[in-house]
Amino acid sequence: MENITEFKGLEAIGAAIAIGLGAIGPAVGIGMLAAKAMEALGRNPEAADSIRQNMILAIAFAEAIAIYALVVAVIILFV
Amino acid sequence: MGKLISNPKLLLAAVVAVAILLISFLGGAVGAAFGLGFLGGPIPLIQLPAEYITEIGSYQLMNTFVMFWLAILVIIILVFLATRNMKEVPGRWQNLFEAFFEFFINLAEAAAGGRRGRMFLPVVTAIFLGVLFSNWLGTLPGVNNIGRIETVEEFMEIKLKKEFNAEGHGKLAKDVKKMGFAKFMETHGEDEHVEEVLRTFFSEHGQDLFVIFSGDSGVGFINLGRGEQWKVRLNQVVALPSNFDDHDAVDTFIHQVEVPRILEGVQPDEEQEWTATDVEEGRVGLLVPFFRGASTDLNTTLAIAIFAMVSVQFWGFRTLGFSGYAGKFIFNPIKDPIGAFVGLLELIGEGIKVISFTFRLFGNMFAGEILLIAMGFLLPLIGIIPFLGLELFVGVIQAAIFSVLTLIFGSLAIIAHGHGDHDEEHGAEQAH
Repeated sequence: MENITEFKGLEAIGAAIAIGLGAIGPAVGIGMLAAKAMEALGRNPEAADSIRQNMILAIAFAEAIAIYALVVAVIILFV
Repeated sequence: MGKLISNPKLLLAAVVAVAILLISFLGGAVGAAFGLGFLGGPIPLIQLPAEYITEIGSYQLMNTFVMFWLAILVIIILVFLATRNMKEVPGRWQNLFEAFFEFFINLAEAAAGGRRGRMFLPVVTAIFLGVLFSNWLGTLPGVNNIGRIETVEEFMEIKLKKEFNAEGHGKLAKDVKKMGFAKFMETHGEDEHVEEVLRTFFSEHGQDLFVIFSGDSGVGFINLGRGEQWKVRLNQVVALPSNFDDHDAVDTFIHQVEVPRILEGVQPDEEQEWTATDVEEGRVGLLVPFFRGASTDLNTTLAIAIFAMVSVQFWGFRTLGFSGYAGKFIFNPIKDPIGAFVGLLELIGEGIKVISFTFRLFGNMFAGEILLIAMGFLLPLIGIIPFLGLELFVGVIQAAIFSVLTLIFGSLAIIAHGHGDHDEEHGAEQAH
């Protein structure tokens, strides 16, 4: 039984590392995206609609990478 | 602040809001730590694969499958409403759909440059509507928390059948399926293969949590106000001696298991709050929801992704001809070694796109589902409300991403190779 508990603990650590490290890149990416979008908004306020639309779309792409990490974490935990 | 105090209505609203917040805090997981938790339900078992509702012959009817057909039904009804009575001055539903198709027609024509972009529309809009409605239906109440109760016996039966098949004991697997777990243990309990499989099974799954459902019916739901104390571990239900590693103990365990009276084996211990009588009133098992968001099943998203990418290849072949489209990927390695390598990479990339489509949608929706479950557990009543809004938003965004990406890949596929990379990038930019 002890081995099993140890194994579960390692699983939890593995899942935490997977999502923790995996979220760094997308976080930076989303930050950069939003910063550039704000800059664009400042230069060209009339284009606000299309900037917002494209920003959300691009953020969703960056977010997808974090989601992959989340899927890995979920697979470690629940399968 | 002064305005708040002077206005009795505002003050009352604020007091009620704070009271609800407090109640849900105390009723939820935070309160459960202090012995309250009167609103918290047991966290349902989060499972990656979809569960089946019933078996029709050897075919298993999956809950996500049902959900997707419900989504299709909703789409059919909406489209019927929109096209039933078409007029020059559109009515409510017709207007909605006209605006929707106009948006996609503009998008497709911008992406592909001109009217030929319209050939993408059937697939792209079908993907958008299908994904959107299956995502939205997943946020309805009743999804994920009303379902069939899979009892411990059935659970053991399914798991043992799987284990026996994996170990290569096909006959044992058939027997356990035919007899049910209890009868099987009576007749085969002393078989050494059975013992071995059970031993490894319990060392892996002995700590798995099961929920005690009240009532005797086959339909169950997650009850409010039954927190962690309404859970049992598998080895508590199936009368497992604590010294399981001991070989004699394994023997007694196997002889003890008579599952029709499975509940008699429950040993109430001081840590658990429930007593044996509580358990005997109900059934121990897992909840298999009747409905589950369709995109939370990898099979659904993989199927849509394959459909999308096959359509993209089809468009490519149809527009450029066989040699024209295949020529984008296959080069003569003697004349153009770098081109051959790049072509190979692009060919692999087409396959990778399927995987990235699949996991993007699946991950987003599955994560959303876990988020909703966790918030309902932490802050019952109100915690879920902002996240339901988020889920509606994510549902639209993911549907849009899936369909717009299909559109972009399609518009890249119909561009002939000779035009170079610049044109392709241009096409992608225009799509947005």
